[in-house]
Amino acid sequence: MLQLVGRRLLATIPTLFGVLVVAFLLLNVVPGDPVAEMVGERADSATIARLRGELHLDDPIPVQFGHYLWGVVRGDLGRSYITQRPVLGDLAERFPKTLQLAAAAMLLAVTVGISLGVLAAIRPGGMIDRLSMLIAYLGVSFPVYWVGLLLILLFAVALRWLPPSGYGGLAFLVLPALTLGMRSIAFLARMTRGAMLDVLPSDFVRTARAKGLGERRVIGRHALRNALLPIITVVGLDVGNYLTGSILTETIYSWPGVGRYVLLAIQKRDLPAVQGSILFLSVVFVLVNLLTDVLYAKADPRVAYD
Amino acid sequence: MLRHLLRTVNLFDTAKRVLFLCFLAGCHSQSGAGAPAHGLIYYERDDPRSLDPALSTDVTTGEMVTLLFDGLTQFDADGKLLPALSDRWTADRTGQRYVFHLRPGVAFQDGRPLVAADVKRAFIRVLNPATRGGRVWPLLPIAGAGDFADGHATDVRGIEVLGDTAVAFTLTEPLAIFPKFLAMPVASVVPAAVPADFGQRPVGTGPWRFVAWEHDDFLRFAKNPSYWGEVPQAESLTVRIIPEDLTRAAEFLAGRLSVAEVPFGETAKWEREHPDWLKRRPALRPVYVPLNNRRGPLRDPNVRRALNHAVNVTEILRTVWNGRGARAAGSIPPTLGGSDPARQPYSYDTTEARRLLRAAGYPNGFSLQLWRSGTNVELGRVAQAIQAQLAIVGIRVEIVSRDASSMREAVRKGDTDMAILDWWADYPDADNFLYPLFHSASVGPGGNYSFYSDPVTDSLILLARRTVDQPAREALYRRIDNRVFEAAPWIYLWFPANLWAEHPSIEGWDVPVIFNGQRWTQVRVAAGR
Repeated sequence: MLQLVGRRLLATIPTLFGVLVVAFLLLNVVPGDPVAEMVGERADSATIARLRGELHLDDPIPVQFGHYLWGVVRGDLGRSYITQRPVLGDLAERFPKTLQLAAAAMLLAVTVGISLGVLAAIRPGGMIDRLSMLIAYLGVSFPVYWVGLLLILLFAVALRWLPPSGYGGLAFLVLPALTLGMRSIAFLARMTRGAMLDVLPSDFVRTARAKGLGERRVIGRHALRNALLPIITVVGLDVGNYLTGSILTETIYSWPGVGRYVLLAIQKRDLPAVQGSILFLSVVFVLVNLLTDVLYAKADPRVAYD
Repeated sequence: MLRHLLRTVNLFDTAKRVLFLCFLAGCHSQSGAGAPAHGLIYYERDDPRSLDPALSTDVTTGEMVTLLFDGLTQFDADGKLLPALSDRWTADRTGQRYVFHLRPGVAFQDGRPLVAADVKRAFIRVLNPATRGGRVWPLLPIAGAGDFADGHATDVRGIEVLGDTAVAFTLTEPLAIFPKFLAMPVASVVPAAVPADFGQRPVGTGPWRFVAWEHDDFLRFAKNPSYWGEVPQAESLTVRIIPEDLTRAAEFLAGRLSVAEVPFGETAKWEREHPDWLKRRPALRPVYVPLNNRRGPLRDPNVRRALNHAVNVTEILRTVWNGRGARAAGSIPPTLGGSDPARQPYSYDTTEARRLLRAAGYPNGFSLQLWRSGTNVELGRVAQAIQAQLAIVGIRVEIVSRDASSMREAVRKGDTDMAILDWWADYPDADNFLYPLFHSASVGPGGNYSFYSDPVTDSLILLARRTVDQPAREALYRRIDNRVFEAAPWIYLWFPANLWAEHPSIEGWDVPVIFNGQRWTQVRVAAGR
């Protein structure tokens, strides 16, 4: 297992280098000028030229990339053109908040989604099945933006149980976590139901029942465990997505996470901030994928990585 | 680890554990936006760029800098120019040399007294390219400022420190509105020794002092009890960062914001249900469509006039813009000196539009592109309405939707036929709606996005800038605005009215006509509410 982890970590280096090259080239190809965003609505050409010189934006692209790469190797992601703050510091400040939201959303999704799926699979076609699949349909179909605003209107404006937005204690986490986790709840419920329905008619389940195990043990320990692989896949992908920022949820709920940071950096053509964010988030994504693969192997010994 | 997890899989237990963990997380989380709503709470759409005045190139940063710092002059909520760190100033007869006398007894929030040398150092810091601020134009009229910014001089010869109590400015040419330039946030005075993290831990002379800044979340200020002017009536001011319009409205309705701009889609509802909350004020901001005067058929003034006649601005203003504005018959807002209330807007007259197009040699119309910013939904709807109405007179419009940065670049380079834009005032003076928008020196990045160029207009604008006598200057502005209006370099749309709601518990707030005109000193939470 350690070998696997080590190999995979080594393999991330060319991946990340590729990410850096592509991000750098893309940012230099797209229209929009970071200096124009710095100077605001009114500026003179001389000021713009001076700033471009000051930021080395007129250097040849390979030279610019070389400078950037050298900084990255030394652990320096540069400073934002707009705010002049170190990019790494900005990300370090926001990432724990994104992590908090992602963790809450995922916990919610895993508990509610898997429960719904298991309950639905126990009696296919029954009331609970229909109800949980209806919830799943709604969860997948409703746009995040719309659900977010509706939840705010209901729980914050009409009932006043929860704050509409912002970052703070548990009360602030409930609505964004529910909004963000909603799609995962729906997805996991459907996925779990399908996987359970595949597994439940198996011989080993019948054997478990025949040897007199209680239904909870049969479902929880024998059936669910064997249905876990597709569930881990979905959870892994979603965790990766959540950790790289959820722009819509963070925007609706004024959540100060990395998603909004990246969005604003792109809008402002803040090259160091965008590049730094892409690199940082790629590392996060790669690590989450690695963790998912490790979990595969743990969940099912038949999975082997050679 | 997973095996252990699986052994304990019991969905109900897990659910209990989740709740417990969430509760723990809640107990240990800090409380930012969740602070009790006893103080004043304002908001911004995005995090400010910095709290360093030298970096105040946008409205958000400018508003925050205004709370913490002072310039030599300042604007009030009505846009009137008032003395600030300078309690009086004199200009010579030509308007080329100004002497600003510092108000005695002013100190920075760290206790250091303000001296004239601070003013010079602050301005040099703004002009220094290494500061990487980007907004130097308000100081460029000072003699030698351009040379210094270009690295051709080590000092700005036009700034003269007269002892500790006065500073004199010699300008490259007379500029009657120079004192207004000095009220802009970028011209705020900062202490002589500025630490590297000044933008994060600012020290100014302003009515509020800095307390905390959680990026993308909130900024907190406390009143400066030793402020030289009117000390804020409230103890604290929190500025939350709330990017989404409807979330802001919800926050306001939940009683967690002191004031909020009324969202567009909610205008009629709020006007009907809460008229007593609302405050309406005409904005110093034209909404307009620059017609690229250097491209294709738009080179012909008759074509540009035809476009103005072909768009039913009154109808679009009423339906798409919820009636929140006044029609424009010129670029100078009606509340500013130099606007001409007698001038009539272009009439909606498709027959006249067709006649003008025929006379210009386009009886069958032509095709144009209209650029819009994908993030500005309201202006996007206006663009669609314009597209539909121009089609009636045979002008086929393709709407090009881009993100704001791409659109700005294309507009500045002159790569667009038309774009839908608005122009926010930097300072409340007609000059701000003529020099940047129509002088040929401002084409492209300077603000002249229609690439309008007319030597007579240029010389009249410069003449007005040199004219010290206010009535004579305003007469010139009227003349210039009239001349430009006749040439129709824009489709003239309207001047929006700002519509804000003030929470019933708040007193003393008013919508400022200029972004840096509200310092929150007179605002308070009413007792007993």
